[in-house]
Amino acid sequence: MSLRPFILGLAASFGLAWLLVVIVPFIMMRNLEPITLTKETDGAAGIFYPKRSGRIINGAKVYAENGCYLCHTQVARPTYAGNDMYRADLAGLAKDPERGDTRRETNAYDFEGETFAQIGLTRMGPDLANVARRFEAAVAAKGGGGDPAAMFYAHLYDPRRNPETRKSTCPSYRFLFTRREIKGQPSNEALPFGGDATTELLPSPDAKALVSYLLAMKKDQPVPAALNFAPPEPKAAAR
Amino acid sequence: MSSASSATALSDATLRAGIDRSLRHPVMFFLTSGAAWLAVSILLAIIASIKVHCPQFMDDCEYASYGRVFPAHINTLIYGWGFQAGFGVLIWLMARMSHQECRAAGTILTAGHVWNLVVLLGTIGILDGRGTGMPWMEFPAFVWPGLLLCYCAIVVWSFIQFRVRDGERSYVAQWYLLGAMIWFPWVFITANGLLFCASTHPLMAAAINAWFKSALIFLFFIPIAIGTAYYLAPKLTGRPIPSTSLAKLGFWSLAVVAPWAGMQKLAGVPLTGVFLPYLGAAATVLLAVPLAIAVANILRTIYSSEEKLPKSPALHFTLAGLMGLLLLAVAAIALNLPGSSLKLTQFSISGYGFEILALYGCFSFMMFGAVYFIVPRITCREWVSSRLINMHFFFSAYGIVAIAFGALFGGFIQGSAQEAWLQPWETVTDVVRPYAAVSTFAWCVILFSNVFFFLHLAMMWLGRGRPCGAPTLLDSAAEHAAPASH
Repeated sequence: MSLRPFILGLAASFGLAWLLVVIVPFIMMRNLEPITLTKETDGAAGIFYPKRSGRIINGAKVYAENGCYLCHTQVARPTYAGNDMYRADLAGLAKDPERGDTRRETNAYDFEGETFAQIGLTRMGPDLANVARRFEAAVAAKGGGGDPAAMFYAHLYDPRRNPETRKSTCPSYRFLFTRREIKGQPSNEALPFGGDATTELLPSPDAKALVSYLLAMKKDQPVPAALNFAPPEPKAAAR
Repeated sequence: MSSASSATALSDATLRAGIDRSLRHPVMFFLTSGAAWLAVSILLAIIASIKVHCPQFMDDCEYASYGRVFPAHINTLIYGWGFQAGFGVLIWLMARMSHQECRAAGTILTAGHVWNLVVLLGTIGILDGRGTGMPWMEFPAFVWPGLLLCYCAIVVWSFIQFRVRDGERSYVAQWYLLGAMIWFPWVFITANGLLFCASTHPLMAAAINAWFKSALIFLFFIPIAIGTAYYLAPKLTGRPIPSTSLAKLGFWSLAVVAPWAGMQKLAGVPLTGVFLPYLGAAATVLLAVPLAIAVANILRTIYSSEEKLPKSPALHFTLAGLMGLLLLAVAAIALNLPGSSLKLTQFSISGYGFEILALYGCFSFMMFGAVYFIVPRITCREWVSSRLINMHFFFSAYGIVAIAFGALFGGFIQGSAQEAWLQPWETVTDVVRPYAAVSTFAWCVILFSNVFFFLHLAMMWLGRGRPCGAPTLLDSAAEHAAPASH
């Protein structure tokens, strides 16, 4: 065997797959075409602008650095790839008081503002695509007396503190919080627990960024008809 | 190979001795520092594994957080142990098969030191919370150019040796090693360049990362493992490889199929080409063919000799590595059937089981086999004790079988629980725990086995091997082996 045909063979066999699986999709997905809305189907004309608020970039960095992606996914798969659409409140809320059934598949616009989509490796923990919606719903179920952010802080500080999640295997991120002596007024950012007469527990900037990112995990906003794969309403009712 | 074959046996032996002498320090450096990283990686694996079933363990230590220890474990396993073992074996095999002495031992040794330093910095970076969050590429961004430069400085000499070898003849083992040498930089530059230096859609970034993981296994680690086995099997048995055309088929089918695999981890993810993950799944299933061909061909080499083979440690480990390769081929089919098993295993621990099976059950066993073959030749000393080798073999084998079956099977259980959407989510967490406990125990067993390996290797490195006599065999411990066993 001589070297030249060998290398040519390798270059051809590898290069073809490399081009078709990596390079072409890479270029195609670089700039996604904006979706044009139409009056008949979407009720409004113009261009679909997915909204995401919060400190996405900073929060995603903290999420990545602390390995959250090892146990949490961020995707609601279509029914051909798994049962995500059926599992309670994974893909959205089945019974949202205002919007009804908000469940939908995750789409490419849901990752707006991130550099790397943390699809995740395993589901040791629950999927996080709509975790903020679930926490909001939990707060609403308790009569509205609470704050989803506070629930996130409490979970990050000690995942097993809440009796409902006492069997959680999530690591605790106590190092994202600092204990400080109270001087004068207690801080309004202090956690409602963990403090005593002289000290209080404060989230670090990293914790705030992470929670802001998690609060943006609402991948169930309404989508234009072009992205909406839900079965049409009347048929669903007839079944 | 006209000149080599016409040379006398004496000059052949002189040439071999010269090659061994020229590579003595680089090879021993890679093998010993690789073994040290292996120990570090297994220690991190134990910590990470304990935390899965017992999250309170070391809960207050920031640097021992699961999300940092686990990436540190897998990255040290790959870049600390895997690559260095691969380098050590590759440069020696290429020099031997090309009949060329190494003339750049100093450069290789320097690059090897830099490689270790860079891996160390990267590992500290991960533990310190500077990881990038991209699986298998978690080292901070400054690490990858360093790794690439060191890689080139280490491997380019083997490429040159192949280029200037006598005649046109080449061995099957050389194809695989040469393939790995060429594929790796292409894969590595593509993935790191696109993810660190270019901007794309975040989903495509995740897809490239998934492709990178698969390509690293099937276009670097597995080819080196198969190449090593194709070298060792004829050497240890004195029999030729029965079918060159079958070997050719195995190699080229791997070359054609493997680059398409990997993106199945993103099944159901809204990529622009939603079929890409299914293409990846199909390619991974098809990969069973080249793997099975290699296993069949090498096993036929080993079992074609009529006389009873001496139970050499290298043969023992190679056979076990072949079993690992066969299991990997079966797992590639079982885990990735679109429509049935893919949705169960996609987000389960069986992915980890598959990776560990490839990296430890197949690749590392082949490397251990090669280490037991190479080190006596370059140190001119025999292994001290067959008992130490036996301990290493059996505990490693039991450990990897427990991890592989635990994670592969546990992943199916976990995936079924995930798909059972009427059950509360807590059931999913609960069913994983026993398998995580098995994995902790198995990693402890593997650590135990590798302590023997490391000590034994260090003894050889320090010149404490048996100075002369027959090679250390596993079935005749009483006659041959060492004072240590008496």
